[in-house]
Amino acid sequence: MATEVILPRVDMDMTSGKFSQWFFQEGARVEKGEPLFEIETDKAAMEVDAPASGVLRGVTAKPGDELPVGSVIGWIYAPEEKYETRPVLAKTASEPQRIAPSSGEATHREKTSTEASPGLRATPMARRLARERGVDLKEVSGSGPNGRVQARDIAATERPPAAAGRAPLHSVWLRQGQGAPFVFLHGFGADLNAWRPLIGVLSVARPILALDLPGHGKSALAGAVDFETIVGAVEASLKDNGIGVGHFVGHSLGGAIAGAIAGRRPGLARSLTLISPAGLGPEINDAFRAGFLQARAEETLAPWVRLLTSGETAYQSAMMKTTLRQRADPRLVIGQERIAASIFGGGAQAFSIRESLERLTVPVKVIFGRDDQIIPARHARGLAGAVALHLFAHVGHMPHFEAQAAVARLIEEAAAAGDALSSS
Amino acid sequence: MDAPVRELTFAQAIQDALAIALKEDERVFLMGEDIGVYGGAFQVTGDLVERFGEERVMDTPISELGAAGVAVGAALTGTRPILEFQFSDFSMLAMEQIVNQAAKLRYMLGGAVSVPLVFRMPTGSGLGGAAQHSQSLEAWFAHVPGLKVVEPSTPHDAKGLLLAAVADPDPVLIFEHKLLYKMSGPVPEGPYTVPLDKAEIRRSGGDVTIVASAIMSLRALEAAKVLAEQEVDAEVIDLRALRPLDMATIKSSVKKTTRLLCVYEGVKTLGLGAEISAAIAESEAFDYLDAPTIRLGGAESPIPYSPGLEKAAVPQVADIVEAAAKLARGRI
Repeated sequence: MATEVILPRVDMDMTSGKFSQWFFQEGARVEKGEPLFEIETDKAAMEVDAPASGVLRGVTAKPGDELPVGSVIGWIYAPEEKYETRPVLAKTASEPQRIAPSSGEATHREKTSTEASPGLRATPMARRLARERGVDLKEVSGSGPNGRVQARDIAATERPPAAAGRAPLHSVWLRQGQGAPFVFLHGFGADLNAWRPLIGVLSVARPILALDLPGHGKSALAGAVDFETIVGAVEASLKDNGIGVGHFVGHSLGGAIAGAIAGRRPGLARSLTLISPAGLGPEINDAFRAGFLQARAEETLAPWVRLLTSGETAYQSAMMKTTLRQRADPRLVIGQERIAASIFGGGAQAFSIRESLERLTVPVKVIFGRDDQIIPARHARGLAGAVALHLFAHVGHMPHFEAQAAVARLIEEAAAAGDALSSS
Repeated sequence: MDAPVRELTFAQAIQDALAIALKEDERVFLMGEDIGVYGGAFQVTGDLVERFGEERVMDTPISELGAAGVAVGAALTGTRPILEFQFSDFSMLAMEQIVNQAAKLRYMLGGAVSVPLVFRMPTGSGLGGAAQHSQSLEAWFAHVPGLKVVEPSTPHDAKGLLLAAVADPDPVLIFEHKLLYKMSGPVPEGPYTVPLDKAEIRRSGGDVTIVASAIMSLRALEAAKVLAEQEVDAEVIDLRALRPLDMATIKSSVKKTTRLLCVYEGVKTLGLGAEISAAIAESEAFDYLDAPTIRLGGAESPIPYSPGLEKAAVPQVADIVEAAAKLARGRI
């Protein structure tokens, strides 16, 4: 029986590794314990020894491949063993699930499958828990040997360790496509589904990734709820999704997060479109925050949702439904209350992205509705001269609903300008 | 239940059980090589020949097959023999009588007869007995329908299991680990029995289930103390019964701890741990396993004479600690 050659976990946090080179070629004789290949982690290059003696066959990893821990990257056959009699797994192993390359230029598929993929390692208990809780095993990072998913990894998807701030956020590739991806970050109290109407009218063919912020949608709240921790969680999730570069679109709190990440990681954002962003001025509508969070029924929620927009929009009832659905999950309610208390407590915004925006050299657009009753449009005053400011009359806090076509066009323009700038 | 309790060694507890059986039931008699005047190879029968006479404490010639044949015949005709093999290794000579006769006769005669017979089986390594006097062959017998196989780890259970075996209508093999003979523990006076089909949870814990028997139960308990210092909370199950296996107790423990480590002195391959591990994998406990099931068994070799190698050939406390800690931490 041939022995699998596996990309090992060499440190605790590792979920994937970059393959750098084989020390032997296909068909070469190797001895157990000899250095067989080299991988790179964030910290160091590591040599990995041959797990068995025999003939190296069916190698699939190539230099530069970024592969999940536990990937089968080759086989060692006993000298007398015929290569034709390949183990059953070899077929799937020859196409290891590649993580999106860091350029972000690849074709992305929507990650919605709940089926375990072939070669995925998980204990019976982890599989049962994932089944019972509707967790997609492929999206769980395994802490066991060879990346095996254990019960505690499933538990971590629900209750992440308090200090880590590093829980994987729920993310969905809403569209596959070519080019640097769009990354959409929703506002406080919403979830990634809030982007679906806008995305429906976007005409570009880029891949689109949308995240649920911590404590929103299907993302658990990871420990601390200060702005830095939330930004860190989003940043980590982008890394997990293989986003090395992208066009960022954020609404309200999501806009502030996009601005902060772009400032922290130069080169990550190729363009930035901030819709009614937080983080530009001192105050936020505290009565809205409190009333919006407390509302549990359509009647009590309706006045607050009306406050979001300047006039009636076609999406008001959809917004109501989405919000009430979130209210049904006590973890989300508690999470959002904690976040609000931490970063919007007393009606003050406890963070600023002004400095971040000053430093950026990529195209930045800020979009506000003049009638915004949550974050006043005047916060956009006094931004750096290179930042384009788009003010919409008769529009409130939700320009991406209220002025959908225009906002879609602005997002596309920013992305096109960003791409042009990066290739010039 | 409230009988006075004294400290007895494992050997004394067995002798106590033998004396009670001889006294209470005149059908009971003992057979074995050197069990009379000499008092038994491990001094278990002691002075019983003086107390009960040569007709009831019988020295046999050096023919295990002959003695076993006499015992099976005697049991068939209404007596309750207890046959001691000097070393369980020597029972190989009597396999025909144990496996083909004692285990089968009730079945083959449609229940018309039974074979109420006890085989005492001094077993295991640790005393420098070398390859032919140190084996752990209990799994061989536990493979045979028609036999009952038990293996106590405490003086209390040695006495209770032996009295239960004497009272049982079928052939029972009781494996007595030689390292246990001199260990002492509380033993109630007078007759009592320990069920022939029930495991005992010796230590309750939440992180990993360690299943063992005889001396391995004691080593597992020692290991559990060390593991507790490493913040690993081990549950130790003392099997006591090998046929039938008390899978219900093991299953419910594994469902609690999600991890199983089987420790046994017999050769690892095709041994007791393989059976328990497979039975768990086949059961509803499978969906509770959060790690592979692990076996720690004897080396794939005869037991060596060299004391260092003899020790290395069977699981020791440090081996159990290492395996259980890795298992509990998700590193296996």
